[in-house]
Amino acid sequence: MERGLYIAASGMIAEQMRQDQIANDLANASTPGYKADRVTQKSFADLLVSNSATGQVVGPLNMGVGADKMVTDVSPQALRDTGEPLDLAIAGEGFFAVQTAQGVRYTRNGQFGASTQGTLIDAAGNAVLGQNGQPVKLGAQGGVDAHAVGVFALTGPAKQGDNLFTGTAAGAATGTVRTGALEGSGVDPARTMVDMIASFRAFEAGQKAIQTIDDSLHRTATQVASVSGSA
Amino acid sequence: MLEGLYSAAAGMAAQQERIDGVANDLANTSTTGYKHVRIGFRDLLYSAQGNGAGPTVMAGSGAAAELIGRSQGQGPMQDTGQPLDVAIQGPGWIQVKREDGSLALTRDGSLRLDAEGRLTTKDGLLVQPPIKVPAGTSPQDISIAADGTVRVGTAPPLGAIKLVTVPAPDGLQALGGNLYAASTASGAPMDAADATLTQGKLEGSNVDVGDAMVEMIDAQRSFQLASKAIQMQDQMLEIANQVKR
Repeated sequence: MERGLYIAASGMIAEQMRQDQIANDLANASTPGYKADRVTQKSFADLLVSNSATGQVVGPLNMGVGADKMVTDVSPQALRDTGEPLDLAIAGEGFFAVQTAQGVRYTRNGQFGASTQGTLIDAAGNAVLGQNGQPVKLGAQGGVDAHAVGVFALTGPAKQGDNLFTGTAAGAATGTVRTGALEGSGVDPARTMVDMIASFRAFEAGQKAIQTIDDSLHRTATQVASVSGSA
Repeated sequence: MLEGLYSAAAGMAAQQERIDGVANDLANTSTTGYKHVRIGFRDLLYSAQGNGAGPTVMAGSGAAAELIGRSQGQGPMQDTGQPLDVAIQGPGWIQVKREDGSLALTRDGSLRLDAEGRLTTKDGLLVQPPIKVPAGTSPQDISIAADGTVRVGTAPPLGAIKLVTVPAPDGLQALGGNLYAASTASGAPMDAADATLTQGKLEGSNVDVGDAMVEMIDAQRSFQLASKAIQMQDQMLEIANQVKR
């Protein structure tokens, strides 16, 4: 019986994690090149419950649920025209590469600027790399040649923050670079709100289950031995 | 627990900064030579949820706004007919000397003559290098060529309004009053090769009111979205509190 308390609590904890992810998505509804996440849940291993007196099998008992994986949807999003010559977007698959102090990182956020050396840099000052791994040089007018900017296919992209992804580059990707545009955020507000409500109700249901079990335990403790039948 | 409260609050703060930037742009739709800001966003750190969750389940910390720089897009040319109004076309700035002796850059080309016949900005800052016209010269007789050469009538040139540019205009420090200062982030000023002057015109603000309004609406709605996440997290905390009645 009291197992149910912990099973319901595990569900509430898993929903909390989902809500954290949803809040982060909603906070990034305007972040160019942001990729939305999804938290998947899995049930813990089932236990086989049997009658301890007769040994007769009652059936499997699930021990609750846990947040299993976070999956990032890296599919390309719609591009938005900005008219800024150093706003870049990738139409199709692929990532920009930037040279950070920790090594090469990848991003879909193309809000770039110019460095004093006349090269293309991101908002944090990291050099944007061409397909050859060298910093991209700007043209005489301060613009950038879209073909000079590298677009890399990435295996195992994982978020690092600051719009950067880690992963292993696997050559050129199929996407093409557009100047004067940015990729929108991958957050779909309507879908995220629905997910948020669904998760909220699941959380609430977990609480109700705990209260119901608590009620039953209360009655067991106070009424089973009551002779008069009054609580 | 419920880190989302803070992630969503960070998202709201980022949208607020964006609204501040857009509001400033909208206030400067008639400012000569004004360049609108480029606001960027980034997501923040991700940390493992732990608590029995799989290793890939991360809690993100929200979003932050950052100033990428200013758009260097050309503003519209406005015909003023004033002989001392000059509009800069292309990447370039007029260099002026501030009251404290430091140099600043401006794209506001509404020039004046001071009491000594020197070219100044409308705030009285001297154009660098200084150009002095002979006493008693009428502004109507002054001609300013595309390369900045200043002449009075058919007399030999008195000098030239020098246009400068910097390697990274995003690094320019805004001083207010249409002035910018070169910094280590922008690099030192150098001769502008691709900029020309047009006499009798001024460069208007490059703020597109339509774009700015759309940006404002987007920012307000995104602000609202993040606030909904906070409300939801608050209700969850309330529910968690009621587990024990």
